[in-house]
Amino acid sequence: MMHIYKIDGNTLQVICCSPEDVRKGDYLLINDVAAKRGLIAQVVNTGYANVPGILEDILREPSASRVMGKDLDPLEMKPYVDMIKDAKSFTCKIRRGVVEETLDDDISWVPSRSTSRVENLSDEKLIKMAGVGKHNSISIGTTKRGGEVSIDVASIDGKLNIITGKKDTGKSHLSKLLVLGLISKGGICVVFDVNGEYVNLGYTSDGEKGPFYDKIIVLSPGENFKVTLKYAGLNVLLSVMSSVLDLPATSAWEFRRIWQYLVKSGMLSLRELGEAIQSVKNNYVQDALLRRYESLVSTGFFTDYTEDAITLENVLKKVKGGGALVFNLQDLPPTFRRIIVEFLLNKFSQLLRKWVVRAIFLFAEEAHLYLKETYWDDIVTRMRHLGVFTTFVTNQPDSIREGVYRQADNIFLFNFTNENDLDIVSRATRVDVETVKVIACELPRHHCLMLGKAVKDFPLIVEVNPIDAKTMGQTRLFFTNL
Amino acid sequence: MEVVDLSHTSPRDFMTLGCGSLKNIADLSFRPRRVNLLKLNVEEFEDHEREIRADILNSESLEKVGLHPIVDDTPVFGIDTSSIDLGETKDGSLCAVRGSIVWRYKRGYQYTRYGPFIFHITENNKHVLYNKLRQTYFASRDEVSAPSLWLMPDRIRNVLERWLQKLVCQSCQDSLLLWDGSLTAWTFDSPVSVLSEMLHTARNRGNIILAFSKKTKLYVADRRIADLIDNRESPCLLKIDEAIRLQYGSSLCFFGRVYAAKLAPGCFTFRLDVDREVPEEEGIRAVERLIGSDLVIESYPETLRLAHITTRFSASEVIGMQRYIAENYGMRIVGRPDVRQVLFGPYAGASHQGLEDEWAYDAYL
Repeated sequence: MMHIYKIDGNTLQVICCSPEDVRKGDYLLINDVAAKRGLIAQVVNTGYANVPGILEDILREPSASRVMGKDLDPLEMKPYVDMIKDAKSFTCKIRRGVVEETLDDDISWVPSRSTSRVENLSDEKLIKMAGVGKHNSISIGTTKRGGEVSIDVASIDGKLNIITGKKDTGKSHLSKLLVLGLISKGGICVVFDVNGEYVNLGYTSDGEKGPFYDKIIVLSPGENFKVTLKYAGLNVLLSVMSSVLDLPATSAWEFRRIWQYLVKSGMLSLRELGEAIQSVKNNYVQDALLRRYESLVSTGFFTDYTEDAITLENVLKKVKGGGALVFNLQDLPPTFRRIIVEFLLNKFSQLLRKWVVRAIFLFAEEAHLYLKETYWDDIVTRMRHLGVFTTFVTNQPDSIREGVYRQADNIFLFNFTNENDLDIVSRATRVDVETVKVIACELPRHHCLMLGKAVKDFPLIVEVNPIDAKTMGQTRLFFTNL
Repeated sequence: MEVVDLSHTSPRDFMTLGCGSLKNIADLSFRPRRVNLLKLNVEEFEDHEREIRADILNSESLEKVGLHPIVDDTPVFGIDTSSIDLGETKDGSLCAVRGSIVWRYKRGYQYTRYGPFIFHITENNKHVLYNKLRQTYFASRDEVSAPSLWLMPDRIRNVLERWLQKLVCQSCQDSLLLWDGSLTAWTFDSPVSVLSEMLHTARNRGNIILAFSKKTKLYVADRRIADLIDNRESPCLLKIDEAIRLQYGSSLCFFGRVYAAKLAPGCFTFRLDVDREVPEEEGIRAVERLIGSDLVIESYPETLRLAHITTRFSASEVIGMQRYIAENYGMRIVGRPDVRQVLFGPYAGASHQGLEDEWAYDAYL
């Protein structure tokens, strides 16, 4: 039996005095029958009720003072006393109001303490009431109480998502699940795969070809992913040279002049570009350009042979009905990685502007390793409007700027034990600090706290579904025979 | 020597009469007692013994007896009981009683706890209830008038205590039996016949009864008697029997030889009654065996302290019993307005104010 004890702001305290299996993350429905309305509250913390004299009880418990004995308790009162001693207090956050089984945003009223009924709200009922995963949805997992959680594609379409948690908690697993889910719905995903974890996503866990084998295209820069200078274009290349290789403005101006000359004379190639740079008279500019040129050449990403080169337009045609382009950035030197990412972001922006592709779902794992700080805002604002819908996956929440958290529509939060990490995540505007801090540090592996639009702002603890795909990255081990 | 198992016997009539009284409640509304830990403490630490103030004029006439602990592992039994008010009904009140026997044997403590037994006492049933208990446990044939309602819980408790004392007197052998209170006979709760029979039974089985009273106030020429005994002199007894009997002998029947006992260094001195029929030397030796066999802190034996602790009701037990009554006897819990709070509001005094934060121990259930 549960009763309202206190309400302070949107924090509700409920006292439970007979055993009820209520845990952190569970939802309660406070039904004020007289007022014909209710409140939906989520348990964010649990503890013992402040029962009078409990400390005294414990201290004088005979067993504690090593006094053995028998109780002749003819009325069998002990279970009642134990029940009082075990009375629990649940700290809850009010999430929404309910009027006649329909959600209501008005939570400014206070339910009657004496007549309101407090009951467990099953996850199935909550999900149904909230309309989570109603239309065209991707199945994510199950709640602790067995409610199936799916999210509407619309709730991640055009949105900014963050998947974060400490190492080995299942972030990438969820990210892969989302990728596969989006593919199945016809979405086009672009994955920056830093650890080579997505390269085998087309295979089942047995190593057989999976249902999405043909729809997952793995592109390894410098190997099966090369482009010509002409395809890259001046603007993209200048952007790469300026942003990644820090080309000074004067030298950039000279590079533009050389490029235009080569295009006009129909001689645009790596070799000709190199020679043209050699002929620059100003030694400083020549040296600056030459070093950048050599960096670009050394990547092996640019080629003069059209038969070796591919275009993103052609690759995108292969995944027209849904698919994923996995850019394997594993083992690439940091500068090369950044060149590729810069190239891709610029190129995709162009393609989106020309409506070659409608939108892409970008999955950026550990983006701080290849994305310049100045790029974050660009991705979150300008590129989102163009149709780049990003999901950041990171185990270093401080690598993502606070502004990004504030812009995030959905946060998939896995276990964190470090308080500093939790502090950063709790700055997200979609949830209160207490929910994040108390629940996140106790999440088991493969369980995440879903926050945001995908769950209609009802934070849910979800055990992520397994997927039948080769999901593990290949880590080189020393003790392979153990 | 084996200590007898006391858990085979239980006061069945306490349960039968208690449950019977609960079944006949006409109006099922029940106003539970407000549980306030501070208040519970005050009430529970009250001694059940009636207050005696012994004023001794001349300290020179008092003889001190030095004590030398005798370590012989004599079994020591302590008995204590408690009662508590659980709430009000339209017709009367609800109360609970409980008793406990604690014994020390071979340097270990054990206990048997009896109860709680819950009673619904009304003006209509108090007479029957009280006399039935007296008849059963005091073997008393006389009908007496029951005390006022507010005194009934204590009287019921007293019957339970006498029953437990009798049980121990009959079951134990060659032991020290510690009672809470004195060996003074009163009209109702400690009839002469009952007390005398128990002492007789105890003596026949080689037991010696020592009764410790916390309530008797002992003064010698307006000075606390504790001040007359120096810590360096403890453990010792101060013979005050004659002085007390001179003062109260005409109105009370003293079954015990009365001492002021300082059994260990500290601030307290207690009144100690030793069975008068036991030769004085043997009585003193019994006290020496007690301080040799039991732990004595602040002049109070640990066995008796544990008996008190185990019998005492805690706040959570009170709430548990209130819940038990509500669930098993279909009683509706109602919160009747507090007259002081309604009339005086914030000026009702601290204990009447609903200051939840300040009074974190308070709870209604």
